[in-house]
Amino acid sequence: MSVVESPATRRTGGSTPHRAPGHAHRPRRRGRQSAATPWLLAIPTLILLAGLLGYPLIRMIVLSFQNMRLRELLSGRTPPWVGFDNYTKVLGDSVFWTVVGRTVLFTVVCVIVSVLIGLGIALLMRRVARGVRLLMIVAMMFVWALPQLVAAQIFRWITDSDFGVLNYLIDKLPGVNYQNHSWFVNPWQGWSVITTLVVWAGIPFLAITLNAGLTQVPKELIEAATVDGATPWQVLRNITLPILKPLITIVTTLSVIWDFGLFTQNWALRDGHPEPQFQTLATYSYTQAFGQSRYSLGSAISVITVLLMLGVMAFYIRQMFKIGEVD
Amino acid sequence: MKRKLVAVAALAATLLGAAACGSNDDDSPTTSASGPVDGKGKTLKVWLMVDAQSAWKGVVDDASKRFTDATGAQVTVEYQQWANHLTKLDATLAGSDVPDVVELGNTEFPKYVFSSAFAAINPGDYENSGTWLQGLKGACDFEGKTYCVPYYAGARVLIYRTDLFKSAGIAAAPKSYDEFLADADKLQAAKKSDSKFGAVYMPGQYWYSAMSWVKSTGGDIAKQDGDKWVGQLSQPASVQGLQRWVDLAKKYSKADPTKNENDQANIFAQGEAGMFYGNAWELGAAEQIKKDPNDPNSPLVDTKVKGKLAAAPMPEVPSFLGGSNLGVTEKSQNKELAAAWIKAFTDSTSMAGLIKANALPNATALLDKAATDNPAIAPAALAAKSSWFPPNAEKWADVEKGNILQTMLTDVLTGKKSVADGAKWADDQINTTLNES
Repeated sequence: MSVVESPATRRTGGSTPHRAPGHAHRPRRRGRQSAATPWLLAIPTLILLAGLLGYPLIRMIVLSFQNMRLRELLSGRTPPWVGFDNYTKVLGDSVFWTVVGRTVLFTVVCVIVSVLIGLGIALLMRRVARGVRLLMIVAMMFVWALPQLVAAQIFRWITDSDFGVLNYLIDKLPGVNYQNHSWFVNPWQGWSVITTLVVWAGIPFLAITLNAGLTQVPKELIEAATVDGATPWQVLRNITLPILKPLITIVTTLSVIWDFGLFTQNWALRDGHPEPQFQTLATYSYTQAFGQSRYSLGSAISVITVLLMLGVMAFYIRQMFKIGEVD
Repeated sequence: MKRKLVAVAALAATLLGAAACGSNDDDSPTTSASGPVDGKGKTLKVWLMVDAQSAWKGVVDDASKRFTDATGAQVTVEYQQWANHLTKLDATLAGSDVPDVVELGNTEFPKYVFSSAFAAINPGDYENSGTWLQGLKGACDFEGKTYCVPYYAGARVLIYRTDLFKSAGIAAAPKSYDEFLADADKLQAAKKSDSKFGAVYMPGQYWYSAMSWVKSTGGDIAKQDGDKWVGQLSQPASVQGLQRWVDLAKKYSKADPTKNENDQANIFAQGEAGMFYGNAWELGAAEQIKKDPNDPNSPLVDTKVKGKLAAAPMPEVPSFLGGSNLGVTEKSQNKELAAAWIKAFTDSTSMAGLIKANALPNATALLDKAATDNPAIAPAALAAKSSWFPPNAEKWADVEKGNILQTMLTDVLTGKKSVADGAKWADDQINTTLNES
C-alpha cells in the first residue's frame, strides 16, 4: 500500500464500491446503460421529500408574507397579505438578534468542545486494550440510543434545586453550601448544564465515527515517522490529522447543523417555558408561532434561520462532493 | 435543522387542515340547550382536562349517563393534559373533525372567544346562571353575547403544618397579615438548626400568588383605557404589593426562584416548609400521592405530612379565582347536543358532586352550601368570595404564554432587577402584548 487514501472515502463515499488496492475500478467506467435508472430509483424518495419537506417549506415561505393569527387558523380564511412586514419586524427586533447571537455562541462553544473531546476519546480508543475499547463503544452506544427528551429530563432531575443529586453531592464537600441551589438563575450556569448535556449526548457519534476514521490511518506511516524521530504530537499533527481532515470537516459541519437547531434540551430543562435568556432560534420561533399564535411571525423567523443555515449546508454539501472526487 | 423541519411540517399540517374547511358565518345563531334533541346514533366528543379524570370522574360519568338517557346520544370524553393542550387544540380546531365540547382555563377563554372558536350560548338555559362567578363568566362575555359556561373554580388558601405550629407555640391560623408574618418568624426560629427549612414555600415564578399580593395593596395588573390596555404594575400601589411579596419570599422561602407552583405540593410533602399558598385540593395532594402517577386508578400512598395539614384563608390577600369553563365549538356538528351535555354537567346535581370532590361550584349561590357540605373546602369557598381574576383581554393568554410575569418575578427575586425596574419592564411587555393588533 503505497498511496495514502482518505479514510473518509471508504466510509462516506457510499456509492463508490471500494476494491482492494491495485484494482482501481471506477464506477463511471461501467458506462451509461440507462441514464434514467438512477432517477427511477430515486423517485419514491423524491416524492416523499417533496411531500414532507418541499410542500411545507413553500407553505412556510408563503405564510411568512401573510399575517395569520388564531382567528384565520380556525376559520380557514386566507390571511391578509402583508409583504415584508414580518421580516422588518423580526429583523428590527433587538430580542431576535440577541437570540441569534446566543444561538451562534452556543453552537460555536458546543461544536468545539464536543469535537475536541470526541477526537480525544477516539485517539484514546486506539490506545486501550480491545476489551476496554469494546466497553467504551457499548457505553457510548447507550448514550447514543437515549432519546434526547429522556436525556434532557434526566438532566433536569439531576440539577433540580429541591431533589437534585448534583446539589446533594456538591453540598457534601466540606465548607460548601449548595442546598436548594438553582442552576438556572445565572444564565451562564444554566447554559453550562445545557452545553454539558448536548456535548455528552453528541460525543458518541463523534468518537465512534472518528475512531473508525483512525483505523484507516496506515500503521506503516506512523512507524516510519516514529523511527525518524517524530514526537507523538508531531505524528498527530502531521500525519493523523491531515488524513482525518475530511472526516473531521464533515462531523464538525453536522454538529454545527444539529447544535444550531437546539430545541429539545433547553425546552425540556426549562420545563416547556424557557425564560428569555434560555431561548434559542428554534424555541423562539416555536414560542412565537404556537405559544402566542403569531404563525406568520414564527414562519418568518424560521425562514431567516433556514437562510442562516444555508451557508453551513452549502459548505457541507461541497465537502461531500469534494470527498467524492478525491477517490 | 431536523427539528426545524419537523416544526415546519407540523405547521404545514395545521394549515393543510385549515385550508380544507369553509369559512364560518360571524352572525351564527345562539345555541339552545333547552329544546328536546334527538341524538340517536350520534356520538358527542368532549374534551375535559385531566383534573376531571383524577378527581371527579364519577360526576362526568353520571352527567353523561343522564344526558344519554335524555337524548339517546353517546358521549366520548377525552382527557387532556394541561401542558401544551392549547397547541393541540389549535391544530384540532383548524381541522374539521373537532370536539363538540371543550374545557379551557378561564384565563385562556377570551382569546378563543375573540377568534370565533366557540358558539354563543343562552345563559338562561343553565342552572344557577344568575349567580355564576364573575371571575369565570367574565371570560365568556364578548360583544353582549355569552360564549361559554362556567364549570368549576378554585381559590387559593394558606395551607400549613399543624404539628409545627403547635411546637412553635402558635395556637391558630393567622387572622391578619402581620400575624401571618409573626407566625413565619416563630416557625423559622423553632427550626433554626435545619438549614433546609423555610417557613413559607414560595416558588419564584408563582405569578398567581405574586399578583394576589399586588391586589392586596390595591394594585392591579392592567386596566382598560378606551380601547387600549395599560399595564399598572409600576403604579405605587402595585409596587408596594410586589415588594411585600418579594420580601416574604426572600426572607422565608427556600424555594427555587426559577420554579413555578406546579410541583409545590410534592415539594412541601418533603417536610422542609411550614406553610404554602395553594389551591384547596393541594392539601390532599401534599398528604397523599399516587403510587404510580401515570395511572389514574393507582392506590394512594401517605407522605411525611399526612394528617398534619390544615387550611385557612390567606389573611388580607384576595385570592386569584382560577377555574375552568366549557364551550361549544363553532365547528361542532352537534351544537344543541353539546349544549345539552354542558347543561347536565353543570346542573346542581353535578355541582354537588364537584363539591364532594373538593372543587368549588360555578355560582356564588352554591358557595355557602359548599362550605357547609364539605368543611375541607370551606376556607377556599370563603376565599372565593373575595377574589380577583386577570384582565379580561383578548391577548391575555399571550401574556401568560410569553412568561412576562414569571420572568419579571425571577429577575426581581434574584436581584437582577429592582422591584421598580421589574415592574416597569413588565408593564412595557404587557402593553405591547395586549395592544398588539
